[in-house]
Amino acid sequence: MLRYTLRRLSWLPIILFGVSLIAFVVLRTLPGQDPATAIAGQGATPEQIQQLRDQLGLERPIFPISVTRTAVVVPAFHVHAHSQYSEWIGNLVRGDFSREFYSKKPIRDEFKRRFFPSFELVAMSLSISAVIGIAFGILSAVYRNSWLDYVVRLTAVIGASVPEFFLLTLLIVIPSRVWNYSMPVGGYVAPWEDLGRNLRLFVPAALVLGFAGSAGLMRLVRTTMLEVLRADYVRTARAKGLSGRVVVLEHALRNSATPILTALGTSFVAIFGGSVIAEVILSIQGLGLWFFTAAQQRDLTVIQFLVVYTAFVVVIVNLIVDLSYAWLDPRVRYN
Amino acid sequence: MATAVRPAPRAAAETAFELPRQAPLLLRLARPWLRNPLGLIGLIIVVVFVVAGVLGPALAPHDPRALGESPKFLSPSFDHPFGTDRLGRDIFSRTLSGARLSLTFGALVLLMGFIPGSALGILSGYFGRWVDYLIQRSGEAWTAFPQLPILLTVIAAVGPGLKAVVIVVAIGAIFGGSRLLRAVALVEKHKDYVLAARSLGGSEGHILRVHIVPNIMPYILVGASSVFAVAVLAEASLSFLGLGVQPGTPGWGIDLADGRGRATEYPHVVLFYGLVISVVVLGFNLLGDTLRDILDPRLRGSR
Repeated sequence: MLRYTLRRLSWLPIILFGVSLIAFVVLRTLPGQDPATAIAGQGATPEQIQQLRDQLGLERPIFPISVTRTAVVVPAFHVHAHSQYSEWIGNLVRGDFSREFYSKKPIRDEFKRRFFPSFELVAMSLSISAVIGIAFGILSAVYRNSWLDYVVRLTAVIGASVPEFFLLTLLIVIPSRVWNYSMPVGGYVAPWEDLGRNLRLFVPAALVLGFAGSAGLMRLVRTTMLEVLRADYVRTARAKGLSGRVVVLEHALRNSATPILTALGTSFVAIFGGSVIAEVILSIQGLGLWFFTAAQQRDLTVIQFLVVYTAFVVVIVNLIVDLSYAWLDPRVRYN
Repeated sequence: MATAVRPAPRAAAETAFELPRQAPLLLRLARPWLRNPLGLIGLIIVVVFVVAGVLGPALAPHDPRALGESPKFLSPSFDHPFGTDRLGRDIFSRTLSGARLSLTFGALVLLMGFIPGSALGILSGYFGRWVDYLIQRSGEAWTAFPQLPILLTVIAAVGPGLKAVVIVVAIGAIFGGSRLLRAVALVEKHKDYVLAARSLGGSEGHILRVHIVPNIMPYILVGASSVFAVAVLAEASLSFLGLGVQPGTPGWGIDLADGRGRATEYPHVVLFYGLVISVVVLGFNLLGDTLRDILDPRLRGSR
């Protein structure tokens, strides 16, 4: 188990390195508007733009190795000592997350400030999605073809169809129309400072994201449970007189744990993406909103950092999912 | 020469070997739909959406771009069934015209992403080997990563606009299509009719074209339906965030974002766009689910 974990973890730097390289290629080599021109504004002279490019380090070679075409068939390789990529990745490895492209604020400080709001939103949404998805998925399978089953299935299809941004907009509009209650928008208060205000901001948003994330989960739990409930050992368990609750929770649920875990992983990825939209609409000063504004302003260093961070989170979540397979299922462990 | 009238032998043969009577073809095709009212609703929604997308602006009662023709923020009435927005534009007309954007976007994703992806999936499922391995692993890596950050990264590189959104969603559809059709092709290639065609001397290309592709066509339809649902949602979400289509263009996502500022006073400026997106996506989802249920009852309820 430990060796398996270590082997998987040893892949982490390789994956992050690959992702950082791809992010650099996408951000720095695709044709787009020059960031220096964008900051300089419309009235800037070419000299000013050039000066800005020098300041931002955009004039230096992008990668440590570059290839140019020559008159001969063999292309020429050039090695650069101070490329943009090697400087950035070198700093990252040393724990220096660089600075924001324009404001020159340290990314590390901004990350620290914005991490917790996003973490709280995603964790809450994921818990809600897991509870709704698993509970109603089981009920829907156990009471198959009852009205409950139909309601759950219809809700799942609707949940997969209604866009999150519409639900979040309604989240502001409906309480204001019906109860004259305005959702607190923006302004983050940590739960240990003022729990009430914190929950008023996060619970409604997490309910919306959690509901949207639970749609796929409900359907999957239902299908898996239906299959497992048909299995011989479930019939045996029933035949020897165990109560329905024990059969469902002890035998059926445990045996459908692996696909459910996979679906939870997928649900996490969906919620992680959805949290960007929620943060934009509710002006929650988290990582998603940062990503969004950085994309609008073409803040290359912030985007690079956040891409690597996202890859890190995705790899770790996948690792947790895989490790819990082994924890839940001895067959995986002994292989 | 015997000229006696003989009873018509063919008629006799027909009565002797008559097959069990079958319902007319149309009824046989319609029956599963009638048994699945939700699927029928989905089909109707999709047909209405496609008609609106093709004819949209021609059907609109008002000019969707005309400014100040009517008072601002009119509530829904007979003349303006969905009311008017903050610039006095008729929301019903904009909704109808917005269908064209969603339809075009979905069609582009289908053509650039799903169809090449399906072809790739069929080939890699049928022939296998390392290309298959490479495609599947890249697909897994791509789907493991949340889509919105990928989109934001590409937009940071090339600037906002529908082009970046189409490309990223289409890449997702390539992988989605290839995964679905690969699984289908893997099952299909071991079936007896393929063996029969091969033993009759059919080349691999012939078997793929004439036998396998027509047999798995329904699965392609299922995939196309869900790709359309995803594409319509993606375009609306990105345009809502201001990263997709240009402002002023009739589109459901961008028009909803446009009304958001005054939505607490005049809910109708966001309500109808949101409902239309939801209903259209629901239509494609219901259609896809029903098609799959009809095709393969074992998959019922799965994704």
